[in-house]
Amino acid sequence: MNRIFLDVHALQTVPPSNLNRDDTGAPKSAVYGGVPRARVSSQAWKRATRSYFGDEHLLDPSELGVRTKKVAEVLATRITALEPSLKDAEALLLAAEMIQGATGSKIEVPKRKAGEEKDGAEESAPQSKYLMFLSARQLDGLAALAVEGAADIKKFLKDKDNKARAKQIADTRHSVDIALFGRMVADSADINVDAAVQVAHAISVHRVDNESDYYTAVDDRNTDAEPGAGMIGTVDFNSATLYRYAALGVHQLAANLGEGLRADEPRITPVRRAVEAFLHGFVASLPTGKINTFGNHTLPDAVVIKLRTTRPISFVAAFEEPVSAEQGSGHLREASARLANYIPDIERAYGDGESTLTWVLRVGPNTKKLAGIGTEAGSLTALVKSVGEAVADRMEQSA
Amino acid sequence: MSVLTLRLAGPLQAWGASARFIRRTTEAAPTKSGVIGMLAAAQGLQRGDDAGLAPLSALRFGVRIDQPGTRIRDFQTAHHAVTGKSMPLSERFYLADAVFVAALEGDHTLLTALHTALRAPVYPPYLGRRSCPPSLPVELGVHPDISLDQALRNEPWQASAWHQKRHRDQPTVTLVILREATSAERDGDEDVLRDQPLSFAAEHRRHTLRTVLSTIVNVPNPLARATRLPASGHTVPHHDPLGGLEEETA
Repeated sequence: MNRIFLDVHALQTVPPSNLNRDDTGAPKSAVYGGVPRARVSSQAWKRATRSYFGDEHLLDPSELGVRTKKVAEVLATRITALEPSLKDAEALLLAAEMIQGATGSKIEVPKRKAGEEKDGAEESAPQSKYLMFLSARQLDGLAALAVEGAADIKKFLKDKDNKARAKQIADTRHSVDIALFGRMVADSADINVDAAVQVAHAISVHRVDNESDYYTAVDDRNTDAEPGAGMIGTVDFNSATLYRYAALGVHQLAANLGEGLRADEPRITPVRRAVEAFLHGFVASLPTGKINTFGNHTLPDAVVIKLRTTRPISFVAAFEEPVSAEQGSGHLREASARLANYIPDIERAYGDGESTLTWVLRVGPNTKKLAGIGTEAGSLTALVKSVGEAVADRMEQSA
Repeated sequence: MSVLTLRLAGPLQAWGASARFIRRTTEAAPTKSGVIGMLAAAQGLQRGDDAGLAPLSALRFGVRIDQPGTRIRDFQTAHHAVTGKSMPLSERFYLADAVFVAALEGDHTLLTALHTALRAPVYPPYLGRRSCPPSLPVELGVHPDISLDQALRNEPWQASAWHQKRHRDQPTVTLVILREATSAERDGDEDVLRDQPLSFAAEHRRHTLRTVLSTIVNVPNPLARATRLPASGHTVPHHDPLGGLEEETA
């Protein structure tokens, strides 16, 4: 098998913020190079990237999946859309049976909390025990099959061929986001999809100690008789220049996507669209933690892309010795200089020379040292287009 | 016998031997199942391919702790796709800032193939968990006609520069080696760890017990100071903490 790996590296500065917090409310951290660093977990950024696909209309809703426990409700809606004569309760039952048949995962009515029963609260809809990730295509297919067997769904699914059809639908034509980020269905191993993309935890290139903001909030209707704050509290935060890294196995993505979403397009088209969406989404997205408190909307100052035929290489070791801001020049200039020195060095030692393609997208004089590292792109759109073309070329060559 | 050596270094690593579901712990050193899994993934073996896995599992495994790192805890939540409500999902532990040398002993042809696969893997390597990519290429080399123990003793100290500098007063450092015992060494008293992979099939992952023999090795520190004693001619400056006070009151 020919290997095509796409490595994405980004330097991004965030002002005081709390993008991704732990259970105490403090921004996540890690030790690297012997000093504490700011950390944003891979899960947080993967979720941000996935949301970006839909929010920014990078991908059509039919190319996206939904990750929810309420799969039965989601599928029931599609069943009633197909067959409006079915009552909601019937559709829900059909949906639950169909998902159990297709995925092997149990669909049950969640236990009611104490008190709810007494209050006469309505029994909620059946749910899966785990977050289940199904593509729009798969949900449509399952809905159609459920309508076909609506007369007696249990008997319908007892039939070996029908059950196999259900499984087949759940295991082909994965949505672009499932092909990228994978799917885990804890009860049924045969429809798991291994993620084609590997996202590292983002860490700061410099030492970071979390800070704590003490705040008071004034009650507008306070009187002189009762002065003082209406509310007090603390918010933990930090600011950081982050090194972000992700590697995408394009050959694996192609295998996950399978035949593609539409029968009338060439096999490379969905792969190219997925690569472009991933690159765009990963670079431009931002986890939304405390975003309204801090308004920390930033974008990367520098992006370096490598397209390789050998294993991906993270450049995080360039920052193992923490970058210092002693000259009062911030962290970005030294971080860019470090990368500019490190990349040719590690490529010489471990790279695969001529077959590796490199692109750079950068902003401002602080990133000037990175200019010579690869083909400069004028904008994110241009970068995405250029990388997408190169990926399609590589795939054609290796086909 | 030949030995393939690997460098396992990165900001985060996680090597679970008993981690499942909500609480995902990590051992203090890479597990055999984790490293074999990485090699199998590099070769493109599918999860259920137990026959393909067997020759890899049969390799004798050892690891040297070059830089132990620190344990950090990560609390992960997931958000409900429909309601947006957040739900606690798992507690995960990582080793931060650690460096290990792992070694596998066995047939030269197989080890060479694995070395090649690591350079152009089907599924890229990660350090125990997918979100933990290595910070440098992991493949160090294939060493012919050498034992597992000897290979782990010969490999230069792979700790980070800052870590080596921190130990600059020590011309040699003492590192722990954890390796499978040879049949001659086995006396029934060895530690055991359930990390010998039998199957990576997603529906029934199976591991069996493996012996772990703990030994130590002294390795030179490349960043040690030339000498620990002050050069001749240097004297320790005189220090009198009360000197200044007396002058003041005089």
